Amino acid sequence: MVAEKPPMALVLGLESSCDETAVALVDNDGNIIAHHLATQEILHRPYGGVVPEIAARAHVERLEPLIRKVLDESGKNLSDVDAIAATAGPGLIGGVMVGLVTGKALSLACNKPLIAINHLEGHALTPRLADQSLSFPYLLLLISGGHCQILLVKNVGEYRRLATTIDDAGGEAFDKTAKILGLGFPGGPAVEQEALKGDPTAVPLPRPLVRSKEPHFSFAGLKTAVLRAHQSGLYKREDIAASFQQAVIDCLVNRSEKALRKIESENTAINAFVIAGGMAANQAIRPALTALAEAHNLPFVTPAPWLCTDNGAMIAWAGIERFRLGMIDTLDSPARARWPLDPHAEKARGAGVKA
Amino acid sequence: MQLVIDTATAACSVALIKGDHIIACEKEIVGRGHAEKLLPMIAALPDQGRADKIIVDCGPGSFTGIRVGIAAALALGLGWDVPVSGYGALDVVAAAAFRRHFNASNLTVAFIGGHGEIFIQSFSCDRPSLHLTALTPIQSLRPEDAAPLVKDSLIAGSAAATLVKARGWGESEEAWPFADEARFLAKTATTLPATPIYGRLPDAKIPA
Ligand SMILES: Nc1ncnc2c1ncn2[C@@H]1O[C@H](COP(=O)(O)OP(=O)(O)OP(=O)(O)O)[C@@H](O)[C@H]1O
Ligand SMILES: [Mg+2]
Repeated sequence: MVAEKPPMALVLGLESSCDETAVALVDNDGNIIAHHLATQEILHRPYGGVVPEIAARAHVERLEPLIRKVLDESGKNLSDVDAIAATAGPGLIGGVMVGLVTGKALSLACNKPLIAINHLEGHALTPRLADQSLSFPYLLLLISGGHCQILLVKNVGEYRRLATTIDDAGGEAFDKTAKILGLGFPGGPAVEQEALKGDPTAVPLPRPLVRSKEPHFSFAGLKTAVLRAHQSGLYKREDIAASFQQAVIDCLVNRSEKALRKIESENTAINAFVIAGGMAANQAIRPALTALAEAHNLPFVTPAPWLCTDNGAMIAWAGIERFRLGMIDTLDSPARARWPLDPHAEKARGAGVKA
Repeated sequence: MQLVIDTATAACSVALIKGDHIIACEKEIVGRGHAEKLLPMIAALPDQGRADKIIVDCGPGSFTGIRVGIAAALALGLGWDVPVSGYGALDVVAAAAFRRHFNASNLTVAFIGGHGEIFIQSFSCDRPSLHLTALTPIQSLRPEDAAPLVKDSLIAGSAAATLVKARGWGESEEAWPFADEARFLAKTATTLPATPIYGRLPDAKIPA
């Protein structure tokens, strides 16, 4: 018997949880019909980081024109859309509210279901947009600006968190390192570029937690070591950048390996090792984790770099996944600053508030 | 028929108005819950609030509320393909207050602002036309700095009592802007661009 192809669905995705205002129209087959992104980099750069109040002001000015642009470009009307998906958290609440309320109002005006998306689920499911053959369950290394977690992705809305950072997120470590080294904002791509010119073995830096039993992460100590190395005046900037990036990679590989072993020891079958989130855009991180997946006989899946950092397509796609399962939300859905994917995860030992 | 959205303060209200008539109105004091409350309130209006024009309170007032109201108005405008424009929060409070105080020819509106400051603006009212004129620009000041500047006896708004106390004289009336009161505004006062009027610059300071 041939499996029936699911009926066509078209979802509009709205993202506004940090410093990108983004909109996309995505269909059931993973076609990105149109997408636009208005980055606020220029607005935040003078401050050396994202300023919540400025982000909140910018989203409300940019979102509606961006939706019009995406619709115009796609040649579609709102009446062609099957559902409206909007990020409802976690993130900077001022921005989240703008996107969510916009989604609710479109939902009401056009009589289309609203889907309130967890931004992290957007990152977690985007690999299935990029690779339509990727099926549940898979092991996900989620490395973004605010999170560093290893999750067993069992299904849409079903996650088991195996590890988290007990202090800074990985992307945050890149951003702080960039600041220390005077590489500006945003830090990830700048450190990656600088590292290309440097020697990853030149500066001795710690690999926090690599010997710990649980696969958790810690990057605060690494950042402090970068600061000391920089202040010592002994090292070239490119060497610090390269050595920092290598230390991060070593931690990611070590921790992911530990998580893979744990899953294997439990006889949980998984279909792939997957990475997503802004830091997954890093071209040096990818090969190291590809090799790890190979060593465990698992396919390695990661979205294109632009789909790793925040974008509208990831929210539209998470919307498609939920819409297909009939998971829709009501007009009183809350905007949430905090919203863990696995609400039952135990608190990591030594973890600060962010974990 | 116009849909009016007013979330510029701790109050959240929506109304359908036609000329001077209120077709329907919903109001609630929500504090910070605008993002959760607003759309269900609109959905509860006749025909789910469907109108051929939308007007929205652009502020100043609650930083969060203003952006929620404008985001909703713009998206409804897009969804229904109808025009969206704005009005000022202090204007609507002034217009409503002059209708309650028959003898007043001028008054000041004072709203709770950010960081212990209040927004103030003075208005006059022509009678019997009830035409409203703003006598000063909107200012954001600490109550003690605002006190010597305000000459009107009657103060209306969420910071009215605060201002009267700081100044030591006058009459205060606690008042919030409500959507149905937008019917008191002249047409020209409801055609502002639907963008936030924050009344103050962002707090963030560029590091030296
Ligand atoms: N090439 C890169 N190398 C390393 N880090 C990168 C790279 N590109 C982006 N990043 C980092 O990714 C982060 C942004 O990712 P993302 O957009 O997913 O984060 P976020 O949405 O702010 O946080 P979260 O998704 O956790 O809420 C930033 O910290 C940035 O420095
Ligand atoms: Mg993100």
